[in-house]
Amino acid sequence: MRPTLIIGSGPVLFTIGPESARPLGPFPLDVDPRVAAVRFEAMDTSDVPTRFLTALGAVPATSRLLASPRQLAVAVERLTGRPVEDPTLEELRRGRAALPLPDAVVERRFFLALAHFRLERALRAPEEVLITLAREEERVERSVGREARAADSFVAVPDSPLDRHLAAWAAAREALGDLETALRKTLESEAKLRVPNLSAVVGPRVAARLVAAAGGITPLARMPAPKIQLLGSRRRPSPERGPRYGVLYRADRMADVPIGRRGAFARTLAALAAIAIRADAHTQRDLSALLVARRDRRVEALRRRR
Amino acid sequence: MSEVSPRLLATTRGEREELWTETVGDPPPVYGERWTEVGDRRCRLFEPGRSKLAAAVVRGWTGDLPSDGERWLYLGAASGTTASHVADLVGPAGRLYAVERSVRPFGRLLALAERWPNLRPILSDARDPLGYANLVPPVEGIYCDIAQADQLEILARNAELFLRGEGARILIALKTASMGRHRSATGHREAAESFLSEEYALYPAVSLEPFHRAHFMVGGRWGRSARLPAREGPRTRPRGRRPERRAR
Repeated sequence: MRPTLIIGSGPVLFTIGPESARPLGPFPLDVDPRVAAVRFEAMDTSDVPTRFLTALGAVPATSRLLASPRQLAVAVERLTGRPVEDPTLEELRRGRAALPLPDAVVERRFFLALAHFRLERALRAPEEVLITLAREEERVERSVGREARAADSFVAVPDSPLDRHLAAWAAAREALGDLETALRKTLESEAKLRVPNLSAVVGPRVAARLVAAAGGITPLARMPAPKIQLLGSRRRPSPERGPRYGVLYRADRMADVPIGRRGAFARTLAALAAIAIRADAHTQRDLSALLVARRDRRVEALRRRR
Repeated sequence: MSEVSPRLLATTRGEREELWTETVGDPPPVYGERWTEVGDRRCRLFEPGRSKLAAAVVRGWTGDLPSDGERWLYLGAASGTTASHVADLVGPAGRLYAVERSVRPFGRLLALAERWPNLRPILSDARDPLGYANLVPPVEGIYCDIAQADQLEILARNAELFLRGEGARILIALKTASMGRHRSATGHREAAESFLSEEYALYPAVSLEPFHRAHFMVGGRWGRSARLPAREGPRTRPRGRRPERRAR
């Protein structure tokens, strides 16, 4: 006997078989595209439409049940008490081909709602917050620096229109500076929370920038130390005069190392950072005291060896 | 003015030849591209320096292009620069299902989809087609522009699940620089062609130089012995020009 395929097609459900290849349906998940999108993403037993359940009841007990997507299979299994399997690629393909094409308007509204839902969920992830904060902080820092440099070389005669402009500009710079301070505070506390070991080794701001440059905590934890060392570097890698550091140049204690020894320190720091981020990503152990001690020992060694 | 395909127009401006797609959406421009009226059709400039598909046409691609009324799947849509033009090509009666996995470009793709009625954005990883198997109906073609070492496998997995049947189309903008240093660019292209020719009848590949370095457009139809009709209508001149300078 042919199996019965239960299939979700965007906002509507269908069953196909076992007697005929003609689909039975549609059974809309909801009229509201947003509700339908949420139900599509995380289907619960209570989300399955009643009419659809009635249709399922008519499926002979001898017919195997196949369902796609996975969450629909789980819901149906729970509701009917019958085993539900995943369709093979070929069965899924044929099932999709047998379905009527969705109504353009309904389909579009569903897709947009689903896209918004998935995007918001992705952006709410703690990692994404950290990455976005790091990027924002870097951008604001750049503009603060640019405005400050421009202000340094700006000369205005007292009591002239230029002077009034200067006063308004100073207020704007101050506001920008406040924004930077607030942003930095949020970023630092967020980094200390998410990547405590890495924050201890290189400082919270650089830690956040490393995560942002790698595209997340897990990708960073997978990186070898030499790659971490060069994250964010702009110079082209070459055997003669390649980059020695990228984001790491701004790390804590880098400034305490003599200029000619900073490449060497970047190597050490990258190795320690690689250990730190792995602890943050996988074991959640606190290695900060150990790693910081090693880092500081290295700083002292590099200072002595001129 | 001449038609390269029903919704893809070519005009000459002095020495230069320019490609335009008849727009589906309304202004403002999507990424700062020029708009114009050609006859009574509103068109957007399709620049080879910005888009690998446009570069392929300029370099003499004779194979299929997405055309009016078709459903296409676009893997690696990013923020939608090329995707907007592919959506133009399939027209208001067609559909473009655009898959993108990174969050920030997807935000821009979504904003574009709000304005382009035939564009369906999907935030998913193209490596895992089952993640959107229930969203995308069978399609006439797949356009793949993913700079990953395993881009061919990704395309093959999607093709298996989504292509309508024999004769359905694939197009892949092959970025050989992402595929490892163990082969030359040409070597990668040849390997890709031999990999794809197991299941597809292929059109002659074109290099996208000088617009996109070490890139090739490869494509064909499903079925080893599928018929490969040459594209109807006049072709643009099959030679490269220096890319226009990018607007900053």
